[in-house]
Amino acid sequence: MVDAGSLQLILAEPFMQRALLGGLLTGALGGVLGSIAVLRQLSFFSDALGHSALLGITIGILIGVNPTLILIPFAVVFAILVNQLVERSSLPTDALLNIVYSSSLAAAILALSLVKHYRGGIRQLLFGDILGVSNLDLVVIGVLLTAAVIYVGVSLRAQVLLTLNEQLAGAVGVRTGWHRLAFIVLLAVVVAVSIKAVGVLLISAFVVIPACAGRLLCRRFPYYISASAALGGSCALLGLLVSGLTNLPSGPSVVMVQFLGFVMALILSSSLLSGRSRQPARPRIPGAGPIDL
Amino acid sequence: MQSPVLVVSDLSVERSGRLAVEKVSFELASESETAVVGPNGAGKSTLVAALLGLLPRSAGDVEILGRSLASNGHLPGFIRSKIAYVPQSLSLQGRFPLTVAEFVGFGFDPPGPRWPWRQTMQRLEAVETALDRTGCLDLQHRLLSELSGGQLKRVMLSFCVVRPRQLLVLDEAQAGLDVPSNERFQQLLLELRREEGWTVLHVSHDLDMVRRSSDQVLCLNRRLCCSGTPDNTLTPERLTELYGSNVVPYRHQCHG
Repeated sequence: MVDAGSLQLILAEPFMQRALLGGLLTGALGGVLGSIAVLRQLSFFSDALGHSALLGITIGILIGVNPTLILIPFAVVFAILVNQLVERSSLPTDALLNIVYSSSLAAAILALSLVKHYRGGIRQLLFGDILGVSNLDLVVIGVLLTAAVIYVGVSLRAQVLLTLNEQLAGAVGVRTGWHRLAFIVLLAVVVAVSIKAVGVLLISAFVVIPACAGRLLCRRFPYYISASAALGGSCALLGLLVSGLTNLPSGPSVVMVQFLGFVMALILSSSLLSGRSRQPARPRIPGAGPIDL
Repeated sequence: MQSPVLVVSDLSVERSGRLAVEKVSFELASESETAVVGPNGAGKSTLVAALLGLLPRSAGDVEILGRSLASNGHLPGFIRSKIAYVPQSLSLQGRFPLTVAEFVGFGFDPPGPRWPWRQTMQRLEAVETALDRTGCLDLQHRLLSELSGGQLKRVMLSFCVVRPRQLLVLDEAQAGLDVPSNERFQQLLLELRREEGWTVLHVSHDLDMVRRSSDQVLCLNRRLCCSGTPDNTLTPERLTELYGSNVVPYRHQCHG
């Protein structure tokens, strides 16, 4: 049974305080970028980035460089190359991403078999270790969150128009190529930085689930982004507390809380919709106003 | 005499390794309405994309409102803000959390960074006026993804009329509109031309509407097959040449 005493004990631990703050910031970061990624149908792209990160980490281990240092440049270069491949190829995007994703995962597993000893352990790479988040990690995630909020905020018009119709965006002066690339690079950096806390397998959940829940609940764009960030942050916080109190693995606990949040959003949005459809229709006066098409 | 709004000289555009538009030249006079007609795959949308600077050109020159369009598609911001474009469709898969009023507000904003919560009275009024003008005021709180195809077309036109423009480019914008909506759409285009001096270039398959509303018709099938007034271009002989089969334009009796 969980009591207030155990909660106090957990909250008093410095590593748990760092984990909670790290989870809050990582969750909010995933929500902010995920809100755009989901609309632009880049959900699978973040998954492919996450899995390819394993290859980056393995390369780091093999050449004897700290994997965290090699992960960011690796993820950025990988994201740019995949973006070029998707733009230039005539094959469907999901098929291309699947090829990239499975090939990089296979290459990473093969390369890992060459590693004799790795202190971190494969389990930590796959599911993350949010309890091992350092103060430096918190600063990096905080800086990234600030950068992401500023970028998405000031370029909101460009992001929306680019998502709706690239030609329309270009016609009103949006630098479409630049914004597409900037967003993908930012997403790659965020994925690379969050891998340590969240793990290779669960990173895409941080990007996709809160944004989908926010999409179901909100009608206005700035509220949608804010709600996705708030849901991402609060689900991470709650998931970590559940994990701490029940001694369950942290990453999967957070993802399960995100999933429950999504189910609640689904139920809430369905009841909102049915409530609206039960409202009596406004009487139409013939000839008054435009015809509803 | 006013200088032309758009001057196109020997424009050629490649798409997917083949020449989709070849040596096309024409001018758009101020306050005129010009229609581009032609069969599917004739290069109409490619022409529009190249004129807006969205596709690189292989050869030729484009001058918009007295400024040359750079080969990389760059136009000064103040010229760009005088051009409006209505695409064939918007990518709205699933629930898209954006209201009609928000979308139209993006049409009012100048290019460049801007905080999303900065709402000026001028912006709000402009959005309301634009929606009222296109008969979309009752849709302002609806989501874009909740609209029918015809409503979406009218909302896209609101996006254009929310600020003063000089050149309006429509890519099959009236496809999918029912008869009353089409009439209202056409009436609004006429008002914009006569009262605010807009010039309209539109791609269309509705030859009857083209005949009734356009001052100039460009018959495109990769090259410019013919151009001129509707009476001179939309003849059975010319249309058969353009479409490759017997095409006889049908005139709606109610319009004479």
